[in-house]
Amino acid sequence: MGYYIYGLPTFLIIVIALYLLFTGSGEAFNVGRFLEETSPYAWAGTGIGLCIGLSVLGAGWGILVTGSSILGGGVRSPRITTKNLISIIFCEVVAIYGVIIGIVYSAKLQSVPENLLYTPQNYFTGYALFWGGITVGFCNLLCGVAVGITGSTAALADAADPNLFVKILVVEVFGSIMGLFGLIVGLLMVSSAADFSAA
Amino acid sequence: MSVCPPFAPFFGFGGVASAMILSTVGAAFGTAKAGIGIAGLGSFKPELIMKSLIPVVMSGIIAVYGLVVSVLISGSIRPGEYSLFSGFTHLGAGLACGLTGLAAGYAIGIVGDSCVRAYVHEQKVFVGMVLVLIFAEVLGLYGLIVALIMNTSAIGGDKCPTI
Repeated sequence: MGYYIYGLPTFLIIVIALYLLFTGSGEAFNVGRFLEETSPYAWAGTGIGLCIGLSVLGAGWGILVTGSSILGGGVRSPRITTKNLISIIFCEVVAIYGVIIGIVYSAKLQSVPENLLYTPQNYFTGYALFWGGITVGFCNLLCGVAVGITGSTAALADAADPNLFVKILVVEVFGSIMGLFGLIVGLLMVSSAADFSAA
Repeated sequence: MSVCPPFAPFFGFGGVASAMILSTVGAAFGTAKAGIGIAGLGSFKPELIMKSLIPVVMSGIIAVYGLVVSVLISGSIRPGEYSLFSGFTHLGAGLACGLTGLAAGYAIGIVGDSCVRAYVHEQKVFVGMVLVLIFAEVLGLYGLIVALIMNTSAIGGDKCPTI
């Protein structure tokens, strides 16, 4: 199985690279030209979409891990079901971070005619929104999964001994700061990026 | 080939993103894995939980390393006056901090999980646990040091030719 996953793309890349090399069009592989030719709107849109998409994916993943543990443990200990909703809320907060950044980034998307679009400022904004969105999205994804796993652990510990819940909640708080760091870095990245503007 | 092409910020921001994302991978793994061990310890000896939160705190520190490098790099990227040299240097700095943070977080998670489970049975392993965790943490610190050195060498590299 691993042979297909790693071998086939490697083979295709080598074949395409050798084809370009031997037919004299090796100059067609030009990273700088690709980065200059793609529209800044493509970068910005991809970043914003991935930001909200990955954040919500992380929140959902965390909620599914925590929720199933809470409900499973609640069969024998019904008292845990209300207090452990805090863990679900910690996962939800990660999705809220994604929405905030998505709204802040979307405010920079202004319409500019094609012939006036390719300025250094607009390139900068496009790249900033792309990488900012990816950073926020992946940080929230990882934070959501970590908080979910820890929340599930807290629920089962609470079912065993009610005094443990608050102590394991400390671990969850440490887990949720990662989403906050992603939010901070995402906001800092676009602080010097102006809206898309014509020349 | 210009010294300051307009696509140079792509690589700079790539460095910022990789510093933050990869160290968050390490921190998230460390927090979750050590948290499972701590809950297991708490079921048997709840009074030891506070001392066994050390792996979780150290995983948080790994995330802080990534945050520091990300903030430093993103403060130096300005539109218009950003050279390709700075872009690649910042990309390298971000990868240095991120990948070492990933390794450190992974190590802290697995060491923390198994050590707190041993702490339930034998209280004298605590000192050994802290020593091993420090050595794992220091891996992330090395990455932070190299990232800071690279970031410093990128300062002053933005001499763009004025048109």
